[in-house]
Amino acid sequence: MAEQGALRGMGWLRLARELDPFRATWRLFTNVRWAIGIIAFLALASLLGVVVPQVPAGVRGDAAAEAQWLAVQEDRFGFLTDPMNRVGLFDVFHAHWFVYALGLLVVSVAVCTVSRFPSIWRAVNRPPKRVSDAYFASAHHRFDYAPPAAGPGLEAVLRRRRYAVERYQEGDTLYLFADRFRFAQLATFVSHLALIVLLAAALVSRLSGFSSGLMIAEGASKPVFPEPTHPNQMQVQLLDAVGRFSPEGEPLEYRSELVIHQGGQEVKRCSTTVNSPCSYDGYRFHQAAYWGHGAGVQVRDLSSGNVVYRETLTLSDTLPSPRVIVRDGDGDLLLDEALVLTDALSSDEFNYYGRLVILEDGRVLTIGTRRTVGSDEWELAVFEPGEGEDTVRLLLGEGESARAGGLEFTYVGLGGVPSAFVSDFPLPPAASAGGSSGDVLLEMSNVIYGSDEASAGTAVPVATGSGPSELTIVGLQPQAVTLGPGESVEIGGYEYSFLGQREFAGIQVRKDRSDYLVWIGAGMLIAGLLVTFWVPRRRLWAKITPARTYLAGQVGRLVDFRREMAELARQAGAELDEAEGQESDD
Amino acid sequence: MSEDWQASVPPEVEEAAQRRRVWRGPWRSLVFPLLVVAAIAAAIWWLGYRPDSGSSAGDVRYGPVELPTALLAPGMEVSPKAGGLAPDFLLETLDGGEIRLSDLRGKGVIVNLWATWCGSCRKEMPQFVATYDGNQEEGLEIIAVNVQESRSIIRPFVEDFGIDFPVALDRRGTVSDEYRITGLPMTYFIDRDGVVREVFQGPFLERLQDAQVQGAMEEDELTRRIEEILE
Repeated sequence: MAEQGALRGMGWLRLARELDPFRATWRLFTNVRWAIGIIAFLALASLLGVVVPQVPAGVRGDAAAEAQWLAVQEDRFGFLTDPMNRVGLFDVFHAHWFVYALGLLVVSVAVCTVSRFPSIWRAVNRPPKRVSDAYFASAHHRFDYAPPAAGPGLEAVLRRRRYAVERYQEGDTLYLFADRFRFAQLATFVSHLALIVLLAAALVSRLSGFSSGLMIAEGASKPVFPEPTHPNQMQVQLLDAVGRFSPEGEPLEYRSELVIHQGGQEVKRCSTTVNSPCSYDGYRFHQAAYWGHGAGVQVRDLSSGNVVYRETLTLSDTLPSPRVIVRDGDGDLLLDEALVLTDALSSDEFNYYGRLVILEDGRVLTIGTRRTVGSDEWELAVFEPGEGEDTVRLLLGEGESARAGGLEFTYVGLGGVPSAFVSDFPLPPAASAGGSSGDVLLEMSNVIYGSDEASAGTAVPVATGSGPSELTIVGLQPQAVTLGPGESVEIGGYEYSFLGQREFAGIQVRKDRSDYLVWIGAGMLIAGLLVTFWVPRRRLWAKITPARTYLAGQVGRLVDFRREMAELARQAGAELDEAEGQESDD
Repeated sequence: MSEDWQASVPPEVEEAAQRRRVWRGPWRSLVFPLLVVAAIAAAIWWLGYRPDSGSSAGDVRYGPVELPTALLAPGMEVSPKAGGLAPDFLLETLDGGEIRLSDLRGKGVIVNLWATWCGSCRKEMPQFVATYDGNQEEGLEIIAVNVQESRSIIRPFVEDFGIDFPVALDRRGTVSDEYRITGLPMTYFIDRDGVVREVFQGPFLERLQDAQVQGAMEEDELTRRIEEILE
C-alpha cells in the first residue's frame, strides 16, 4: 500500500515536471530537433529571399515607390503578389518573422550551451582519474602489451608527449591517468558562441546597417542622409571622377577623388576605388559607378552679371549621328564629319533627324537620317533645296556611296551622340518676354570617355578624332548653338556657356557595424571546429601490472587512438608485431 | 557494436553523458542563458548600435535661441507654423558675422532654408536675388539659411549667383529642426511683427513640361506674399 502510494507520488511528481512551463520551455530550447527545425526554416526562408525578387534598398520605406515596384511584380506573380507581400516574401531578410526566427535560434543555442556547460566543465576540471578494471577490457579504445624488458617506461613517454600524468600505486599495480588537450573539450562552446555572434551580426546589420547610393557630378556635392537634417549629416563632394579604359574598351580603373564635409567643415580628403573605399567615422565610401556623359552648363544674366543657372546635366539619351564624307567633282574633301542632327520630324511612317550643312563651296544641303517605322535601319537622306537636274536627292544605306549634283557622298556609318531634353532651361529674356524657362535639346559630340583629360574636372579642350567635345543646344533661338569647352554665346540678354564635359561617380556610402562581428564570429567558428576535429582531448587510463600493461582511452571519433596507444607502447620499449595497434573492427 | 561498448563504459567516463543537458532549475537553466544573450546583445549594441557621437562641429552658441521677452506677444505661441511667432535663432554668417532673427523685428523677413546640392534651391535662388534687389528699400530682408554645408562649398555659389543678402550657416541643423523642415527648399514669410504669415515648401516658379510643379508658386503670388509681410 505504501509502495503504491510512493509510486503514485512519483507519478504526480513526473506530471508536475511535465507541466512545469519553465521546464517545458527548457526542454524545447535544448531539443536538437527544435534547433534543426529553426535552421531548416531559416535556410528555406533564405532560399526564398534569394529566388524571389526583393524590394530594392532605395525603394524600401517609400510607400509610393514600393507600390510602383509591386505593380511591376504583379506581371510576374499575378494574384499572389498581394498575399506574398503581406507575408513579407518580397523583403524576407527584413521581415519580422525572419528576425524572430533568428532570435529563437540564438536563444536556443544559448540555453543549450548553458545547460551542457556544467557537465563538460566538470569533465574538464574534475575528470574521473580512476576507472574500474573492467573498463580496460571493454573500452572502445583499448590496448595491452607485455611489459618491456627495458625502455623509458610508459609514464615517461606520456610526459614526453605532453600528457598531464597522475599515478596511483596499489600493491604491485600502477595506475596512470594521462590527459592531453584538456581544454580542447571546451572548443565546442567556442563554436556555439560563434554561431550566436554570427546571428547577432545579422541582427546588427538588420537594425543598424546603413547604405545609400549617391550619383555625384564633378564639382558637385550630395548629402549622405536623405533626411533634410541629420545629426551626422555629411556631404560628399566629388572633385574628380576617373575612368580608365584599355584600347579595347575594357575598364581598367574607376576612381573618385572625394572631399567629405561634416558640420560645415571639411573632415576628409581621399581617393576611393572599387576595392579600396574611403573611410570616415565608420562610414565607407565605395566607388560604385562611373558615368562620363555630363555637360556643365552655365547661364549668366548680362544685365546683373549674376549666374542664374549652373548645372551639370546628364546626357543619358542617344540621338543618331551619321558620319558623312562629301567630295567635289575633283575628289577634294568638302566634309568629313559625324553630324550632330538638330531637327526632328516624326510621322506614322518614319522618324527623321536632320540638319542644314553648308559646304566649303557655299552649297547648302539638308542631311539627315531616316528610319521607317518598324525598321532598324537608318538611311542617310540628302536633300538640296531648289529645283533642277543638279539638285541633290539621295537616299543611302550604311557604307554606300553615290554621286549627285556633281558631288560624291559616302555614308560611312551611323553613330550616336549623348543627348538630353532639358525642361526648365532658362530661355533668353528678350526672346521669351521676361526670362521664363522652357525645353531645350542638348547634344554633346566628340565625347571623351574614360580619359585623364576628361577626368580633370575642369574644361580642358582635348583633341579627339575630330576635335574637343562640343555641346549643341537646340531651342534657344531658331538656329542651334554649338559651343566648345569654355566657350560662351550671348543670346537675348543671357550668356550661355559650355563649361566642359563632366563625369559622374556613383558613390555607395555604407556603415555596417556587423562587419567586425562577422570576422570575429567566423574566426571563432573556424578555431572551434579546428580544435574540435584536429586536436581533440585525449584521456588515457593505464593499468601496469608486472605481467601486462593495459590501456584504455577516450577521444573524439576521428582519432585512431588504438594506433596512438601502440605507438606509445613502442616508445615505452614494448616489442610489438607490425599488425599490433591496427584499428580494430569494433 | 557501438552500442555495446558504450553500454560497458563507466558512466563517469562516457563523453555522451558529460554532454548531457542538465536541468538546474529555471534560474540557472533558462534565465541565466537569457541573461547571457542579453549581455551579448548589450555589448553588441554598445559597440555597434549606439547612436553616433554626432557632429561636434560648430559653435554651440549658434542655433535656436529664446525669443526676448519684450518681443513675445500675449496669447501668441512661438511656432514655425503660420500664425505663430517665428522661433528666434542666432547663426554665424558666411562673411564671418552673426545674424539674429529677432534683430530684424520691424522688417518683413523671408527665411529660406536651402543647400547647394538641392536643385530646386539653386533654381529659385536667382528669384530671391531679384526680389531682394527690388524690395530691400521697402523693408524686406532675406536670410538664406544654409543647411549643414561647408563654407568652401557655399562660397563659390553665393559669389557667382550674386547673393547679396545674409547667408546664415546652420551647421548643426538645429535651426532647421526647430523650423521643422520636411524637405528643401523651405521658405517662411515673416511679417514686421515677427509673425509667420506663410510657410512654403518647394521651389518658386518651377515648371516641368509646361505643368505646374506641385507646390510651386507663381511669380505674382510671391509678390503678393511679400506685400503681405511688408504691410
